Amino acid sequence: MLSYILRRLAIAIPTLILVSMFIFTLQKILPGDPALALAGEERDAAALEFIREKYKLNDPIYEQYLAWAGGALKGDLGISLRTNQPVTELIGQKLPVTIQLAVMAIIIAFIIGIPMGVLSAVKKGTVFDYIANIVALSGLSIPNFWLGIMLILLVSVNLGWLPASGYVSPFIDPLRSLETMIMPAFVLGTALAATLMRHTRSAMLGVLRADYVRTARSKGLGETVVVIKHAFRNALLPIVTMTALLFGELLAGAVLTEQIFTIPGFGKLIVDAVFTRDYAVVQGVVLCTAVGYLLINLVADIVYFLLNPRMRSVL
Amino acid sequence: MHSDADSNPSPLLAVDNLTLRFSSASGNVVDGVSFSVSPGETLCIVGESGCGKSVTALSLMGLLPMPPAQITAGSAMFDGKDLLRMPRREMAAIRGNRMAMIFQEPMTSLNPAYRIGDQIAEVVLRHRPVTRKQARARALEMLDRVKIPAAVKRLDDYPHQLSGGMRQRVMIAMALANDPALLIADEPTTALDVTIQAQILQLIRTLQEETGTALIMITHDLGVVAEVGDRVAVMYAGRIVEQGSVDDVFIDPQHPYTLGLMSSIPSLSKREGRLTTIPGMVPTVDTMPPGCRFAPRCPFAGAECKAAVPPLTDLSPGHAAACIRAPLEAEAHFDGAVA
Repeated sequence: MLSYILRRLAIAIPTLILVSMFIFTLQKILPGDPALALAGEERDAAALEFIREKYKLNDPIYEQYLAWAGGALKGDLGISLRTNQPVTELIGQKLPVTIQLAVMAIIIAFIIGIPMGVLSAVKKGTVFDYIANIVALSGLSIPNFWLGIMLILLVSVNLGWLPASGYVSPFIDPLRSLETMIMPAFVLGTALAATLMRHTRSAMLGVLRADYVRTARSKGLGETVVVIKHAFRNALLPIVTMTALLFGELLAGAVLTEQIFTIPGFGKLIVDAVFTRDYAVVQGVVLCTAVGYLLINLVADIVYFLLNPRMRSVL
Repeated sequence: MHSDADSNPSPLLAVDNLTLRFSSASGNVVDGVSFSVSPGETLCIVGESGCGKSVTALSLMGLLPMPPAQITAGSAMFDGKDLLRMPRREMAAIRGNRMAMIFQEPMTSLNPAYRIGDQIAEVVLRHRPVTRKQARARALEMLDRVKIPAAVKRLDDYPHQLSGGMRQRVMIAMALANDPALLIADEPTTALDVTIQAQILQLIRTLQEETGTALIMITHDLGVVAEVGDRVAVMYAGRIVEQGSVDDVFIDPQHPYTLGLMSSIPSLSKREGRLTTIPGMVPTVDTMPPGCRFAPRCPFAGAECKAAVPPLTDLSPGHAAACIRAPLEAEAHFDGAVA
């Protein structure tokens, strides 16, 4: 088990190096001069040169990369060109917010998507199945921002049940934190629930046809035991993979929802950084996202490993 | 329950006029099938693939998905109750308990996620008032009885750690764990290597003798019938065309289809000539001919064969065939049908 995790981590290292090189060079190729962005109204050549010199923008690109990568290894992602805060500090502030949002969204997606998927597979071809599929398709088709705005209008403006925006850390006031996050998490979660439901349904349809499910029935087991213990247990593997992908997407993909609910999260940080050409922040954030993706997939692999006895004996 | 079985063998299972169809097809997949099994007896149901033998077995176990399958007529009396009209819950109480089944595909019939010991113990726990520990002990005992070496260690193996033959032994252990009165084996050796086939058949026979369970053996292999069967029912295109003791049917086959099946077995004594085959194909459910369903392939068929369904008629006590030409003349054989 431990050797398996170590091996997975070893594979992750070259991936990370490639990703870091890619984001670094891509950014240099993109149009727009950070020195110009920083200088603002000052277009004085000496001022620009001073800025370039200060931020080592004149050095060869590989030197710039090595300097940055070396720092990153030591946990130093540079300093925001715009706010002069260390990038790690910015990330440290914003990332937990987005993680909280993502976890809550995934939980909501699980609560809705998995039972719906299991039921619609078991009741394939019935009215329930059709309705569940229509609901899922609607969930996929309705844009997050629209649902978000509608929810704010209904729940916050008209009913006044929940705050429309803002953020409170769960460590300061858990209940208040839940209140502010439940709507954005719901918006993100329902969209994921639709995807999750479709995947659960097709995975379940596959295993429900399996010979061992027929064996389970031939043992006289009740239908619930057959479906949950014998079928769903084997349908979990593709669901785990799917969940990891969805969670990774949430880390970087909650941008619009964060904007609508004015949540000071990771998505907002990226958008602001890109607009102001805040190189150090963009690089740091993208690198951090890549690490997040790799970690999530590692966790998914470990769960996969625990769920699948066949893999355990291969290793 | 059947204490009078010795003096007057009342059947354990009596299937009468079982008729079932799939909603997608126009004809009946199983058409008026009747047979019975006495306690401790082995009935072989033999026929080509698609003749309805597996569907018959699954319908008795209540394992046919309905829909699309639909039982349109018939009854199957087991322990004095009709299996075909039994409430789901009552059926589940019998399955794996009073009657059990083993399947054709040992490779995929065990759940890959659970240890085999737990899978056997599960069926014991389901039907008996025992503790987990007792159920596990029973699982171990069963693994021993199906001759799995080092059973104690194997108890915690996952299915993928076992070979096909071993997995089929586990399936047998699971099926017999609650001492069923009836075991249905659906082509239990077809997916196995030839050497393993013989071992598994031998094992089933030994266990049957030890436990006194009745056995319905479904097979396409007349060799298996000769090996294990007391009686045999020959199925063709959803109907039983001949039924009788294995000796009667093998020595004196009375339906042209049975005759054809016999001639299809390569024999060591008649080495000359080509292997005999039955010309034509088994009709599909949608293209069932009227009258005798074998008539289009039968060398003895006449116009009258296509007019009406020949009934299964007793030719001698316990030996019946569904052919208007029966009894066939002693020298009748399938030469006219060499492909």
